Amino acid sequence: MEYFEPRSVSEALSVLARHGAEAKIIAGGTDVMVDIKFKEEPGGLVNIKKIPGLNGISENGAGLRIGPLTTIREIETSALVREKLPVLWEAAHQFASLQVRNTATIGGNICRASPSGETLGPLLVLDAKAKLAFGDGQKTVPFTSFFQGPGKSSVGVDGLLTEIDIPYPPAGSKSVYLKHAVRGAMDIAMVGVAVLMTSDSGKNNIQDVRIGLAAVAPTPIRATKTEALLRGKPLTAALVKEAAALASTEASPINDQRSSAEYRRWIVEALTRNGLGQTWKAATGKEIA
Amino acid sequence: MSITIVTKINGNSITATADASTSLLEFIRDTLEMKGSKLCCNTGECGACTVIYNGKPINSCVTMAADANGAEITTIEGLAQGDKLHPVQQAFIDTGAVQCGYCTPGYIMSVKVLLDRTTKPTADDIEEAVSGNICRCTGYNKIVDAIHLAADRIAGRA
Repeated sequence: MEYFEPRSVSEALSVLARHGAEAKIIAGGTDVMVDIKFKEEPGGLVNIKKIPGLNGISENGAGLRIGPLTTIREIETSALVREKLPVLWEAAHQFASLQVRNTATIGGNICRASPSGETLGPLLVLDAKAKLAFGDGQKTVPFTSFFQGPGKSSVGVDGLLTEIDIPYPPAGSKSVYLKHAVRGAMDIAMVGVAVLMTSDSGKNNIQDVRIGLAAVAPTPIRATKTEALLRGKPLTAALVKEAAALASTEASPINDQRSSAEYRRWIVEALTRNGLGQTWKAATGKEIA
Repeated sequence: MSITIVTKINGNSITATADASTSLLEFIRDTLEMKGSKLCCNTGECGACTVIYNGKPINSCVTMAADANGAEITTIEGLAQGDKLHPVQQAFIDTGAVQCGYCTPGYIMSVKVLLDRTTKPTADDIEEAVSGNICRCTGYNKIVDAIHLAADRIAGRA
């Protein structure tokens, strides 16, 4: 197996142009090393950890810029993330175990493009964008169109994720990330639901709501029909019920060892109901009418 | 492809080679023949392979050996000073927090990092610190007892 340790983005891109089809990018290694041991050994490894400038969290106008090599633990322990992007903090906090959080990177979680990726639901509801570098230039892709299928994303085989741009959510918005799993630590989510809600200035209606669903479709998705149903309305018990049921139909889950598709739909419904209730209460100070 | 690795393990400078696909755990166990860190799930789920990497607990089974380059690593072999066990090791013995013992080195490394940070760990601190370690004998209560005893001894309370 070939091994490359590029020292710059352009060097990485030229390695990927030559070997991208058979080589894998590796950063923290918590997924790729498992593939090497239990699945197929790739033709090569491109270790991107020596590329300067791809890590760290910084304010960038009205949002945060996160480097793809930033570890999940760095995100979890960032005061900026906790204050400004609490829904991302929640996902980082629930991510695998301390050992894994110390090495796994947010870029790896994203580029793995797993439907159940812990940070992906939050990134979707935060309207975050990926900055990608290719041999012929840069591209900015919102995460709502970044994921193309399990393991497939806009990065392709010859691109490199260089930056994650996350705008601050609207003032007064409230968010929650709910994960359903059996073991507290380490378990991959059976279902993950992220909700971000903004009420109108009178705190009477939902002005904007974004719902991200993970582990229930070939990619993490936004429940856009459910969002449209809720927008502009006060959250009543009947509306919560209708919205949660609609969200479960927007999901297209599969049966696997973690749970059945039918069970996943129930959980989407339950977590959406809980997520809407919690964010409504937090955003408006009101109980559901 | 063989990579040259220059690293520091338990304070000793080491230069060795490893294949690119080698995990840090394989490097430690098979190349350096230090067998204290355990191979178990090999997927980063059980924590038996936990080592301290630049001050942080990590799963060595899902870390590239190449990442040892330039790093400072502590394994279970690096804790005792001569015949004197580290307080965490001694506390695991004294509270009977060892059943089959396979998970113990990994637990001890996780707990060492916790107690290096605080000798007054809360229940949440403890849960977080060892949530990535599994004891399949399920001797969890005694492990928590050992953590408290070690903390008390390090802080001079016991």
